[in-house]
Amino acid sequence: MLEADVEVNRRDFTVRARLTVEPGERLALFGPSGAGKTTLLEVIAGLVAPRRARITLAGRMLTSTENPVAAVPPWQRRIGLLRQDPGLFPHLSVQANLLYGRAGADAGARAELFELAHVLGIAGLLAAMPARLSGGQAHRVALGRLLLSHCDALLLDEPYTGLDSSLRRTLTDLVVSLVTRRGVPSILVAHELAEAQAFADRLAVLDGGQILQEGAPDEVVLSPATRRVAELVGYAGFVPVRSARADSAAPTAAPAAIGLTAGIHPDRVIGGRHPELGLILAGVVTSCRPAGALWEIAIKLGEVIVTVRLPEAARVGMEIEVTATDPPRFGPDGTAAPVRPAPAATGGLTAARAAQSRQTGNQK
Amino acid sequence: MAGTGIIWLALLGPVIALLTHLSWRGITTALSAPGAFDPLILSAESGAVTLGVLLLLGTPLAWGLARGTLPFPRVWEAGVLATLLLPPLVVGLLLIFMVGPFTPIGHLLSGLHLSATDTFLALVIAQVYESAPYYVLGAQAAFSGVDYRLEQQAALLGDPPRRVFRRVTVPLAAPGMAMAMAIAWARAMGAFGAVVIIAYHPTGLPLQIWTTLQETGLPSALPYALVLLVVALPLPIAAYFWSARARSRRRG
Repeated sequence: MLEADVEVNRRDFTVRARLTVEPGERLALFGPSGAGKTTLLEVIAGLVAPRRARITLAGRMLTSTENPVAAVPPWQRRIGLLRQDPGLFPHLSVQANLLYGRAGADAGARAELFELAHVLGIAGLLAAMPARLSGGQAHRVALGRLLLSHCDALLLDEPYTGLDSSLRRTLTDLVVSLVTRRGVPSILVAHELAEAQAFADRLAVLDGGQILQEGAPDEVVLSPATRRVAELVGYAGFVPVRSARADSAAPTAAPAAIGLTAGIHPDRVIGGRHPELGLILAGVVTSCRPAGALWEIAIKLGEVIVTVRLPEAARVGMEIEVTATDPPRFGPDGTAAPVRPAPAATGGLTAARAAQSRQTGNQK
Repeated sequence: MAGTGIIWLALLGPVIALLTHLSWRGITTALSAPGAFDPLILSAESGAVTLGVLLLLGTPLAWGLARGTLPFPRVWEAGVLATLLLPPLVVGLLLIFMVGPFTPIGHLLSGLHLSATDTFLALVIAQVYESAPYYVLGAQAAFSGVDYRLEQQAALLGDPPRRVFRRVTVPLAAPGMAMAMAIAWARAMGAFGAVVIIAYHPTGLPLQIWTTLQETGLPSALPYALVLLVVALPLPIAAYFWSARARSRRRG
């Protein structure tokens, strides 16, 4: 198990984080660039000195700034770090790179090397020099090198940035299966949510050096603890609502005094009016452009513009009605407000929303 | 293109002039004289010792400068540049005030039955002063070219700093270091300004050329100039080709 309780100074803020990763568990540290994610990994790896820290790995004390003070150097930590740059030694062949962390490179190590090279799909590249490898091949070799070194924990610092999406998916699946099989705790740093979700069975959102929320990847996305977390995990609009009741919303006419807002995630919106599924939003299309297989549509709701992704295009200027499914609500202080289920008998639109919906209809 | 060709030919001009003005007979006459090879042997020996000193003492300094681990790095750099910017003749004069027989260092050396003037030691000292900046600055550039993240990666794979230096830093910096050593060797072999002040005796190759020129004229000095080139140039040329080969090998 990897346990890290860290405080480290950066130029603009202090990173404070407390993490526990069980053997075989995969934690993703997700947050914007400059949030302190890499700093945190570097402290765990022993590359950056913390202001205060207590880090243990498999029962071994790696760092302790309190008595008894401990600072195990990086070469004795048995922690593997994979960065965006695979960091292959350019003067060594692929095989020599793979065996770098295996002192002696005996017959057992070589047998393991060939087996792992086969799994990683690099068996035919062992004699090649790193400069000849493609980006994906170089990452496979770097990953193999870490696994062959039998590290007790794996840190992945945005390792697949710059690679194409199918290659990312392949490599992520590979890492997940290998990490699970080896039973080592692993931490992935990512600033793309999909990448973090594909890897992790637990997600921690880091911003400004603080962990804002930690939980199952779907839980963090569906129930963000604060409006800031919601912004970070992709909620692209916040509309005023009248109350915390699940069905009660009238974005354009909501009284500001209440201060409640609902977070609208572009991917959690369906076209049309479905009051039983969530919040109905009615407004005017201000832009529409293709986004993958969907259409990204900006809708003006009074003073607020929300972005949604729908399978059908919409004409700019047209009135549209969509339903945000189970949107999280936030109080005036930005923290999540508990959503009260809508009473069955009274479910429906408020007067203002009804009036508005009468005007807009469903993609009229 | 024409401009670069002209400057290239102009730079190569002295070598061409040397080769066109030498006769086989002149070479055999000059080099068959008794003790003709003594200056060559002396220069080669002192040059080898100089390289050893630079490798031993200059390499850690270059590494410290490249990695920024030294306090007040600008002061250290100024110390290296000082010997490069001072005219060698001036360096020789100042060395007399530093290691001459009437200085504290001179007294210390005489207590050990050594002298830093007109001895083999003096020749090595003069050569070190004339060649050290070329080696230190060249090696510093070579170390700076090594990505520190590769060193971190090696450490995370279990190598303590010395082993990282041996397995990663030195192999990656080697082509640049080889060039730095080759240039330092050429500078040491051709050192004259400081040498003529503190190490007139025993006579190395550059001084042999100078004294032959003074005593018997230009034609007699030319064979020694050729010898100097033959001794000084192979190492830089070999280093150049080795560096190019090492870089090409890394490219796969």
